Amino acid sequence: MLLTLIYIIAAYLVNLFLPWWSVAILGLILGFTFKLKPLASFGWGFLALLILWSGQALFINIGNDGIMAGRIAEMLGVQSPLLMVLLTGVIGGVVGGLSTLCGSLWNFKRSRSTMKRK
Amino acid sequence: MQFLKPSVSLLLLVAVVFSLNTKFGSVPPLGKFFDPDAGFWANAEIDVPESREVELNGTKQSTSVFYDERRVPHIFAESDYDLYYAQGYVTAQDRLFQMELQTYDAAGRLSEIVGKQTLGRDKGTRRRGMPYGAEKAFKEMEKDPEVLNVLTAYADGANAYISSLSHKDYPVEYKILDISPEEWTPIKTAHLLKNMTRMLAGGNSDDRTSNTLEYFGADFIEKFFSTKPALNDPIIPESKKWDFKPIPVQKPDSLFVPASAVELGEYELPEGVGSNNWAVSGEKTKSGFPILANDPHLSLSLPSIWYEVQLHAPGVNTYGVSLQGVPGVIIGFNENVAWGVTNVAADVMDWYEIKFRDESQKEYWHDGQWKPTTMRIEEIQVRGEETVLDTVIYTHHGPVTESKSRINPEREPAYHALRWIAHEPSVELKTFYGLNRAKNYDDYVSALSYYVAPAQNFVFGSNEGDIAIWVNGKFPNKWKNQGRTVSDGTDPLYDWQGWIPHDHNPHVKNPERGFVSSANQESAAPDYPYYIDDDFAPFERGRRINDRLRAMDDIITKDMQSLQMDTYSYHAATILPQMLEWIQEDSLNESELEKLKLVEEWDFYNDAEKVAPSIFRTWWRNLEDAIFDDEYATTKAILRFPPRDRITEVLKSEPDYEFIDDINTEQVETLNERVTYAFKKTISAIENALGEENEKWKWGYFVNNDIDHLAAIPGFGAQNVFAGGGSESVNATRGGNGPSWRMVVELGPEVKGYGVYPGGASGNPGSPNYDSLLETWRTGGLFELNFMKEKPSNYLYKIDIK
Repeated sequence: MLLTLIYIIAAYLVNLFLPWWSVAILGLILGFTFKLKPLASFGWGFLALLILWSGQALFINIGNDGIMAGRIAEMLGVQSPLLMVLLTGVIGGVVGGLSTLCGSLWNFKRSRSTMKRK
Repeated sequence: MQFLKPSVSLLLLVAVVFSLNTKFGSVPPLGKFFDPDAGFWANAEIDVPESREVELNGTKQSTSVFYDERRVPHIFAESDYDLYYAQGYVTAQDRLFQMELQTYDAAGRLSEIVGKQTLGRDKGTRRRGMPYGAEKAFKEMEKDPEVLNVLTAYADGANAYISSLSHKDYPVEYKILDISPEEWTPIKTAHLLKNMTRMLAGGNSDDRTSNTLEYFGADFIEKFFSTKPALNDPIIPESKKWDFKPIPVQKPDSLFVPASAVELGEYELPEGVGSNNWAVSGEKTKSGFPILANDPHLSLSLPSIWYEVQLHAPGVNTYGVSLQGVPGVIIGFNENVAWGVTNVAADVMDWYEIKFRDESQKEYWHDGQWKPTTMRIEEIQVRGEETVLDTVIYTHHGPVTESKSRINPEREPAYHALRWIAHEPSVELKTFYGLNRAKNYDDYVSALSYYVAPAQNFVFGSNEGDIAIWVNGKFPNKWKNQGRTVSDGTDPLYDWQGWIPHDHNPHVKNPERGFVSSANQESAAPDYPYYIDDDFAPFERGRRINDRLRAMDDIITKDMQSLQMDTYSYHAATILPQMLEWIQEDSLNESELEKLKLVEEWDFYNDAEKVAPSIFRTWWRNLEDAIFDDEYATTKAILRFPPRDRITEVLKSEPDYEFIDDINTEQVETLNERVTYAFKKTISAIENALGEENEKWKWGYFVNNDIDHLAAIPGFGAQNVFAGGGSESVNATRGGNGPSWRMVVELGPEVKGYGVYPGGASGNPGSPNYDSLLETWRTGGLFELNFMKEKPSNYLYKIDIK
């Protein structure tokens, strides 16, 4: 939960200045730091960028009356600008979730402790 | 083992991020593209831009650009350099992708940004000598310090904008293609001007005419191509007397017969590039001053080919439309004069059959001797592939193409050289520079004298009360019908032996009838002593304009506006009553009779909500096919098709003309039978395609007005724009072609301009200003143009360039 909150804020700031894939590096660091179980790490990371990217897209889409998203949707052969908002969120989510997952897997303290418990 | 899972997951992450950052086929890199900060979302325009100051250290003095509520930039500068610097800057800001795409295309470089799909087009562009011509033109431009200053300033301004951009700011098309803009070089303006020549004077039917002559004989050529319709009403009225001695030209004794039926088909120009313009003198207007109107017809696209701008600096204050990448105003007005253009269908592109000495192609036979060829190696970079080298051989005529034949492949390889006006060095920019600053008729004529191609009918009006029109361009001085068939590349009598002097070009000033006009028809009456072409637009639009102007008095802008929107079909009025007489009603069924009634009651206006134009148009096409298709199918050679105005005349005067019979049947078909057959076929074809009579039968939908995006990106155009018009109507809107800019200018102490184009100032598909003028254009409205004499105090926002 905290991971999600921090990730949203940090990713928003970082993405203002750096290329989009910088959010993946951020996810790696956060995933590593938070030591969550893999599935949880993926879930919270996914949720963070899903919220951030679809939120940003939704905000823009409302201000723009859906003009841009409508045209892109038609280009991609679908009809709804809102689908573009959702797709934006999902792409962000996949990258976010994968990177926090990956970060958590590299934290062997967590890994070892889970193994011991087994 | 403990590293396995993390390693796999890391690899997976890297692979996903990499994939989302890479373009696959035509799919943009999805992560980069959907990134809400720098992907396409960044192109979604939300607010009106704020007024701002930009420090570019480019202009010599401070320059201001004021945007009005339609987002038209009004540039106020203190010198030529600053003026064109700012024009380059604001044009790039609104239309960068268009500027670049058009020049990539004109230079045969599309494959660099698109990939191998466009390699064929690039090869074609280079083989017809587009970059070759642009390089020659640019050398000529560089020699003129005034022109060079303008070009350099424009490029500097465009580059100041381009270099200020990061990926986030790129127009959305760059993000789709995953490319970056490159530096704007002054030669690109030359490329763009050559592109206009390709668009407007880049076609001919030499091969078709030669083949038609061979298969159907000289009588057919005489009947359909040499004979002019009786209703022709030439641009320069017949009253004009030619008081010069024409320069003689030497003609061969007999016409050259090409070695084989050739196919150079890609060079055929579709009907669609046509236009109207006219000017009425003060005697015919309410204000007592001339009124000028112009609507150039082109294939319509979004963003529009035109960009409105006002340019104000010492010595110049002009308003009108400009072309992306070309400094100055192309069609418009200033405080003293107004001007507009329509295309001249001059034959300035000819094919010469070439005889090489041997396979090395190092020498060719001309004027009784072997002459050396030159070689130009075209280097075409292809995105994601190896660079392609294409060697093009040049004779003194021009670049050589290897031509194919479906008829006698045993005669291959055949070689044809292209002589084309676009290969001439030229400085058209000087014409527009002059027109933007012209004060009177003399300034206008002197500006026109620099113009080479594409030849245009330049209409003119001034607040001194003059009106005029010049059929203007550099025309080869040809013997009659020279170059309408494939020419003999070995005989110097087929060369362009010289030029028509500029002051011998067809022109007229203040004719007695009180107006001048053009609609791409015949340039001058038969007594004009030079040959220009045998293939002008049908008489219909031109005659309609003249009919209406003759009848008008006390003219105001509204009258001109209504004439621009006139959908009357001279073609239907000339032939439909006959077709209704010829048709055998007793062989029609009830539903067909019902449809026939619609056509009988029709008033010949191609209005959007009527069904009759859809039926008539299809009926006419089917009739043409029923008459000619059987004969045309007797050979695989590509043939030239007769113009509809001559077919109409022939059918009316010779109802038993031999081509009417269907040669594939035993019996002899009569015209009545063919007309009836064509009608039945029409109704069943429309019913099959669209179902029982419904909305889609209405002309406005039937004609399929799709205004596509420049790069044909789906979703970025405007589909099915419901509008009336027709190729034979003054309002020539149809099938995505039509008036690309409608302008009316009232001259006088306070010049007033009105205009509209189907698009908007912004080239950004994510902006409401991308197509904000479209609805007004569709419904025939005009905006009053904000022509400012001094810096305004009211504006939407402004940019100060320091």
